[in-house]
Amino acid sequence: MPDTIYRLVYFSKNRIAGGPERIATEIDSILAASRRNNPHCGITGALVFNRGIFAQALEGRGVAVETVFERIQQDPRHGDVQVLAFNKAAERVFPNWSMAFLGQSREDQNMFGHIGRDTGFSTARIEGQRLLEIIRTIALEEEARAA
Amino acid sequence: MATTARAPERIATRTAKARCRDDSVGRATTSRAATVAFNAFMSMSRAAAIVGSDGKLLMQNLMFDELFSNCGLIERIYGNQWQDCQIAIPDGRVFRVEAITMDDGWLVSAFDMTDRLTRARTDNLTKLGNGVMFRERLIELLANPQPAEGSAVLTVDLDRFKAVNDSLGHHIGDALLCLVAKRILSAVGPNDIVARLHGDEFGIIQTATPQPESATTLAARLVDLLGRSYLLDGQLIDVAASVGIALPSASNLDCDQTMKNAGMALHLAKEQGRGSFRFFEPEMDDRLQGRRNLEVDLRRALALREFSLAYQPQFNLKSRAITGFEALLRWNCPSRGTVSPLDYIPLAEETGIIAPIGDWVLRAACREAASWPGQRTVAVNVSAIQFANPGLVLTILSALGESGLDPWRLELEITESVMLDAEGAALGVLQQLRGMGVRVSLDDFGTGYSSLGYLRSFPFDKIKIDQSFVRGMPGDKGSRAIVRAIASLGESLGMATVAEGVETDDQLARIVADGCTDVQGYLISRPIPPEQITEFLAFHDTAALASDRG
Repeated sequence: MPDTIYRLVYFSKNRIAGGPERIATEIDSILAASRRNNPHCGITGALVFNRGIFAQALEGRGVAVETVFERIQQDPRHGDVQVLAFNKAAERVFPNWSMAFLGQSREDQNMFGHIGRDTGFSTARIEGQRLLEIIRTIALEEEARAA
Repeated sequence: MATTARAPERIATRTAKARCRDDSVGRATTSRAATVAFNAFMSMSRAAAIVGSDGKLLMQNLMFDELFSNCGLIERIYGNQWQDCQIAIPDGRVFRVEAITMDDGWLVSAFDMTDRLTRARTDNLTKLGNGVMFRERLIELLANPQPAEGSAVLTVDLDRFKAVNDSLGHHIGDALLCLVAKRILSAVGPNDIVARLHGDEFGIIQTATPQPESATTLAARLVDLLGRSYLLDGQLIDVAASVGIALPSASNLDCDQTMKNAGMALHLAKEQGRGSFRFFEPEMDDRLQGRRNLEVDLRRALALREFSLAYQPQFNLKSRAITGFEALLRWNCPSRGTVSPLDYIPLAEETGIIAPIGDWVLRAACREAASWPGQRTVAVNVSAIQFANPGLVLTILSALGESGLDPWRLELEITESVMLDAEGAALGVLQQLRGMGVRVSLDDFGTGYSSLGYLRSFPFDKIKIDQSFVRGMPGDKGSRAIVRAIASLGESLGMATVAEGVETDDQLARIVADGCTDVQGYLISRPIPPEQITEFLAFHDTAALASDRG
């Protein structure tokens, strides 16, 4: 029997001091660490960074998600962490990504549309779409607030 | 390290070869001592030696040789500057050394108690240090000639931890404490000391400069970090943390006092609300001392019969008669004079003293009301805390039974908080009381959530409109609209509406126009002591009669 998959979706605020270059460097390091560690513990997921907001989906076995998230919680590079969902999932939405990075695109209106086309994101995956929609909505809302 | 790992045979061989020095000590003594010492020598975790009465080392095992041969131990024993004690060796191990006096020398033995000491200073659950370790380290720090500049003592405690334990079980509670411990460790500096003091309270000794800035940064980080969601066993858990901080100063180098100060600051941080931190200030001590004194007086007040009730009349606008009285608690303390309920009711609620006081109020009000002429009601305030006590219904039954008061003459005044706190349980109690014939009114309506849902969920007999709306300025359209809306709501639901705090003829005219059915306030009468009620009613009835005729 395969292990039950859990999915966690959260967003948080950036606390990396410095300009875009410094932020880009830190995000690269976050992604590198994720991609290095996640395959060992069976974690897949996606990270969005958009105008000061991180949004991330993590999926994997319950204990693995809890362990990775606990490490993320202690990371001083972000704060105001809000967990939006932590549930059992029927299947992985990001089976092929140890950590997909959805980018710091300025064309955020179309960001998820591009991903869909570029990666063959299935529209049938309603659950994942909805969670990603949440990520996207938050990004847009925060952006509107910041504007 | 090598000693403890060495094979037993080798040590036995060495023991046999232990040097015997043929000195001035007699052979018989030496051989007796050697017999006694043999057991110690055979015990491999012990270092052992025999010292002659002249201070010369007569015999030692390998372990003793390796650990203590050059540390001046023998000289100290010989010089009588010795008591059984612990001695730390450079590799960090701690030995308990005992010197047993014999006829002509000493049997010295030492055993490694590093593990035992570590265990006694470790919190089994989180593997952090415990309270014993924390106090030792704090005493060490305060003994340092200049501790004040770069150190701070923080105590951290979780808000709502008990709720987690109660609702999700102890194993989740324990796992949560372990995660909290790890988060604390991730936030502190490498030289800071962290311990779990007890339950969900942690202590930190921070060594950093400058202060108080460093402590502020750490406390803010802890409040943020520990307040972030936890995932455990597939559950999402949210708790908040509060932090109290004390800075050791030249004027305060006492361990107990420092911990007490941090505790006081923590207490006030928690009072301030979830997820905050505070530094200790000397005034806090005074304030808490003041609260403690008040608590002592309050606990005594019942036994010493310092409480009394005063009764404020309620006047029905239609019948133009006094229909009942609200019982108001008075505390006349010999040392404080008359104390305002605002000053002691919150403390009484926090400490639980409200329960016996509430009990007394119910019984006294029923007893006194039973002696009033006519069929006037007596209204008694009942707090959410009293409602949470399952014994409330029995108390009311017995108060009614003892006094012989008709149940319908007792009216319980509750606030919305009663409905909020007891999570549905309160509704059952209210229905039970209603079944007995007791009346129930909703107090202070308009100030809290003013949920119309409560009005629907229970058929209150009365709604009491808070005085802040009644006393609104003549031009205050908002307040008037609210009074009018509540009065009309009461009329539709068949509930009386009482305007509280009416002081002037203008206010009375307004609330009459707005449709309230009853009124209470200084304009009708101040609260009066029980012994004047009969007189008050007689006067009032005569006056009403006269005004009716006029």
